[in-house]
Amino acid sequence: MNARRSPALRRLLRNPTALAGLIFLIAITLLAVFAPLLYPGDPLGMEADALLWPGQDWHYPLGTDALGRDVMAGVVHGGRVSLQVGILASLFGVLLGLAIGAVAGYFGGKVDYGLQRLIEIFQTMPSFVLLVALVAIVQPSVPTLIFAIGIISWPTVARLVRAEVRSIREREYILAARSVGYSHLRIIAHEVLPNILPTLIVTASIMVASAVLMESALSFMGLGDPNQVSWGSMIGSGREQIRTAWYLTAIPGLAIFLTVLAFNLIGDGLTDAFNPTRDRASK
Amino acid sequence: MSLTRRQLLVYAGATTTLLQLSPRFSFADEPPVRGGTLRMHIAIEPPILVNLTHTAGATVYIAAKVTEGLLTYDLDLNPRPQLATAWTVSDDGLEYTFSLREGVKWHDGQDFTADDVVFSLQTLKASNPRGRATFANVASVTAINPHLVQLTLSKPAPYLLKALAACESPIVARHVYGDARPETHANATAPIGTGPFVFKEWVRGSHVILERNPNYWDAPKPYLDRVIVRFIGDSAATVAALEAGEIDISTGGVPLSDIERIKGNPRLSVDDRGEPYVNSITRIEFNFDNAYLQKHEVRTAIAHAINLDFIRKTIFLGYGKPLYGPISPDMKNFYSPDLPRYAFDVAKANQLLDEAGLARDGNGVRFKLTLDPLPGPETYRRTADYIKQALAKVGILVTLRSQDFASYVKRVYTDRDFDFTLNGMSNLFDPTVGVQRLYWSKNFQPGVPFSNGAHYSNPKVDELLEAAAVETDVQKRFALFAQFQKQVVEDLPDLGVLTLVNPVVYDKRVKDFFVGAEGLGSNGAQIYIKG
Repeated sequence: MNARRSPALRRLLRNPTALAGLIFLIAITLLAVFAPLLYPGDPLGMEADALLWPGQDWHYPLGTDALGRDVMAGVVHGGRVSLQVGILASLFGVLLGLAIGAVAGYFGGKVDYGLQRLIEIFQTMPSFVLLVALVAIVQPSVPTLIFAIGIISWPTVARLVRAEVRSIREREYILAARSVGYSHLRIIAHEVLPNILPTLIVTASIMVASAVLMESALSFMGLGDPNQVSWGSMIGSGREQIRTAWYLTAIPGLAIFLTVLAFNLIGDGLTDAFNPTRDRASK
Repeated sequence: MSLTRRQLLVYAGATTTLLQLSPRFSFADEPPVRGGTLRMHIAIEPPILVNLTHTAGATVYIAAKVTEGLLTYDLDLNPRPQLATAWTVSDDGLEYTFSLREGVKWHDGQDFTADDVVFSLQTLKASNPRGRATFANVASVTAINPHLVQLTLSKPAPYLLKALAACESPIVARHVYGDARPETHANATAPIGTGPFVFKEWVRGSHVILERNPNYWDAPKPYLDRVIVRFIGDSAATVAALEAGEIDISTGGVPLSDIERIKGNPRLSVDDRGEPYVNSITRIEFNFDNAYLQKHEVRTAIAHAINLDFIRKTIFLGYGKPLYGPISPDMKNFYSPDLPRYAFDVAKANQLLDEAGLARDGNGVRFKLTLDPLPGPETYRRTADYIKQALAKVGILVTLRSQDFASYVKRVYTDRDFDFTLNGMSNLFDPTVGVQRLYWSKNFQPGVPFSNGAHYSNPKVDELLEAAAVETDVQKRFALFAQFQKQVVEDLPDLGVLTLVNPVVYDKRVKDFFVGAEGLGSNGAQIYIKG
């Protein structure tokens, strides 16, 4: 396992765009993790004059919003919510999709048929509309956002995993494992999953990016957790001032843009890294 | 309940702008000009175009231009003739007679008569959500002759003469409705009225077109050839359309922070007077069923902990007046100016909470509450953010809850699953109609939206409200309402935040759109475009 992955990792680190994405992501993650130390207190606290422009008062390097809240503190704390929701929601979505996809693909037959229909039901529903409906029914809070975004993103993973598992389960080594008498769970966990891991990792990195976007879109619409600052809610509340104080929307917008870009760059880098033949071919 | 997405305007700024503009206003003496199309914008598309069995707020901006009322009102809410030319009220306040205008024709050519008035008032009493209360004391409506109508009341209703505007009590054609159920009749979406404008088309999601009524009774009015009402929900798109000259006038569609910038536009202007017929206010309402909030000390402490001046100046950018009690200071005939006030005093708030035995825990928290701001307006959301911060300073940990409008109404008025809420209400043209519903213990009716949501009950207040509802003497009625205001401010079932203004942004070529209490909700016959 280790031997197989480290050349991939080395290839990833040699890819300049992926490396840039990785560095940005590590930086923003560190900021988010240490936000309570860097900016103690509630980032929604109104402590300064309203609508200070970036640079006007170096105590508030990115300025303040219409209520005198520090934009820098908002960006740093907002990153916590955005990344937390992004990562946990995609983790939830990946695990759910993995479980359903693996079961459907491995067992096939009626189980596959039933699960396929379930996936189709979810895929025919416009996912963002479903998301808005879910959040409107349960109270918007970080756990419900994670749950709701996970619920709408698992079908993609499930389909992908199912297809991969189907192609793998007919391989000789799976037949060998079966003939030795391994249990289904052991075969799936130890023989099948490691082989689809690269695909899964790439998908997950892209899913985090779209989960961050979905969280931002919900918060922008006022359907996020009103008690916590997030990049989307910062844009939502700064939207009215877009003509007079554009930095209120531009700064958190840039944060979302760069984060999503970083996840996508890493995703591309991972695809190349896991697939050396394609990497070489493209050169 | 009327509430627009953004309410604002800097008070001082507006005053200076008006002063600067005053030389221009003197041109208003020039004769009006005939012709032209007015492109009016409203943010919310109304469900219907006649407010006969419905009270949807946005309806009136269109409805009143097609379907008229018996009376209209000047800026001080004094009645002026519309379909009624003269009226008398008996000394005991139990008998009203209205002489009707002669020679008025419905848009389909038939004559307007007393039968139409009888039918309309009876339908309003039976089927209009507010009309049921307004006309509750009206025992009978009789047509004495084709141009004279008499109302007989079981008890006096001193507010009745103010309730007869087109936007509150429209007069519709009996022959159009026939025996059909008025609630479902097609006239609601393609109205026939007596007004200065004839309904032409309604393309849902886009616009309504009204054409000039050439046979209007008040010739040479109307001055405009046509009115196009456009529905644009997005405020940024509204501002862009105003600046590009695609719409001439917009009510409540322009965000707060854009108003100042728009004032710099040489072509556009802002009118922030607010419609005297509507009198919207913002308030914090406490649920008396909450164990903490039912304590008077806790409500008083909250009142001391919130800096209402900050909310008015920073969030509402100085627009709106301070509100110290249940009645808007704009209701000059009822407002009591010498009410007790709760000064912003964090130390006092802390002291009150200490005295109430609500000690802080290790994290400095005394107790927790959830705040439900009215969904929609960004100003409300910001005010809720502020309240959360302000109450944290006195050890009350507030959690904000966001939800859609329907869930909010159900939560507060049906499920009663809330602690306190930030909401907006219309005091309307008379406290008995617009204010009583919020404080009268008999109007604690779970399931009825915009009723007594606090579950406030004070027999003294009930008595005052019930006496004022039938008191015909103006002085005595004022005294009753003054006592009522004092008692409510003392009891604090709610905390007034400020009065709401609903600025109208308009192209300076549009003249005379705000001449009476109904503002843009008037019949619009006098509006003209010049230049």
